[in-house]
Amino acid sequence: MTADLVHRSAVELAGLIRARTISPLELVEAYLARIDRWNEALGAYVTVCRERALEEARAAEQALGHGAPLGPLHGVPFAVKDQFDTAGVRTTSGSRLHRDRVPTEDASVVARLRSAGGILLGKLNLTEFALGGTLTHPFGQPRNPWDRTRETGGSSSGSGIAAAAALAAAALGEDTGGSVRTPAAWCGAVGLRPTWGLVPRSGCVPVAWSMDAPGPLTRSVEDAALLLSIIAGPDGRDRWMRPAPGDPRADLERGAGGLSIGVVTTLVDSPETDGEVREAVRRSADTLRGLGARVEDVDLPLVPMAGAVFMALADGEAAAWHHRTLATRGDEYDAGTRRRLVTAALLPATLGQQAARARAAIRTQLWAALGRFDVLLAPTAPTAAPPIASAQGPIASRAEAGRRFFNRRSYTTPASLASVPALSLPCGFTAGGLPIGLQLIGRRFDEATLLRAGRAYERETDWHTRRPPLPA
Amino acid sequence: MIELTSAEVRALAAAAGLRLDGADLAEVTHRLNAFVEVLGGLAGLDLTDAEPAPAPPPDLPGAPR
Repeated sequence: MTADLVHRSAVELAGLIRARTISPLELVEAYLARIDRWNEALGAYVTVCRERALEEARAAEQALGHGAPLGPLHGVPFAVKDQFDTAGVRTTSGSRLHRDRVPTEDASVVARLRSAGGILLGKLNLTEFALGGTLTHPFGQPRNPWDRTRETGGSSSGSGIAAAAALAAAALGEDTGGSVRTPAAWCGAVGLRPTWGLVPRSGCVPVAWSMDAPGPLTRSVEDAALLLSIIAGPDGRDRWMRPAPGDPRADLERGAGGLSIGVVTTLVDSPETDGEVREAVRRSADTLRGLGARVEDVDLPLVPMAGAVFMALADGEAAAWHHRTLATRGDEYDAGTRRRLVTAALLPATLGQQAARARAAIRTQLWAALGRFDVLLAPTAPTAAPPIASAQGPIASRAEAGRRFFNRRSYTTPASLASVPALSLPCGFTAGGLPIGLQLIGRRFDEATLLRAGRAYERETDWHTRRPPLPA
Repeated sequence: MIELTSAEVRALAAAAGLRLDGADLAEVTHRLNAFVEVLGGLAGLDLTDAEPAPAPPPDLPGAPR
């Protein structure tokens, strides 16, 4: 039972605890044992809150006997990206610069998960300051649970590992330009980027104010919907947040019948997209058509430039946040992070403004497509997880810089630039056994329809139930 | 097409109060030139009505909901 327990969904685990079939303590101990077994090899956790989690598990167990009202996550162990503040627990942002930083308050999303009864297992690894391109991770190299020589995707690397490798019941990440969706796709998990403006960023170390969106990484769409229902809505601190229009789980089991889905041919048929990825995504579209959705192709010609536009804007925002530290303590950054931030700091302002205008044009194109379709469908990434070594060599030309930094990002950044929600879920495997991610993009504040489409696909397929080769 | 040299990039960095040399200088020069090339291509787009509002409020007309 224990070996299998850790792989169950958060929804199932919450139900088993509530029914007194399992105890919170048993569950926390099972996850801690798995973390002990695999964390060194996978580099998922920066900090494990062992004693505190055990203590909270005992308290959760006692609460079960008192008949008090229980939160929806009562006794369920979760973990969060180390970009979210945690009172009394260091929050490193994956950087040596913050290695001793201990916040006094929980980030709003962490506080909400804990108020819902969740037990914080620990803090998860990430690329430095949630920017991609870290060359040397100060708290250990994150490794893909399906093949440890492969990347996990970033920046929520540890969150992707924890969800896929069952090192927590559920995890939280933050998605600026794909930082939840890419690790979900490459690690074989479900990842949701909520609408910008739905989930408060208070207590989350910023990457780019105009695009940062905290979101769940889980082993099922149902779990992603549960976590979203807990973390969404204004917190009185982040003034840009809006109330959720309703429970995101409202339509979860309605199926795909009657939905209209646009297949983004610009990405699916791009020469950048690997053949196995293209086939898996096309098969997914067929599956949804078979479930009663109206599926048509749609071309979004501005999307290929999204990666460069995103980096000009998001990196510019990040460079502004980091500028003082970069000037005075630049040597303490990882070289990859430092080069990325310095580049953004030197970008001519006119080009930055052109990028901001191009963002508006991309947004208009995406919103128009979402006026015709309930959901857009595309690959989350053009390939499955690449070798770790492939991203660590020096960049020797302008062309290589463009290839490495812009092309892949054009798959996830359109949703970020357009402030719309997007979901990544497993839709197949390569011949080499690596997971492939399907991306569904929805209308603003309509996570209910997005999750409905994802859940309909998930019910029909078993990709999300596959487990990486990591024995108990 | 404009191609920034390492010396120009070093001077830009100095003006921004940032020190830049060695491998960092070579790589930042390539990265910056990649940006200049790709974003320079935006000049060919019709952006007449594209106002750069970063994240409009949810009730903005034209939003897909």
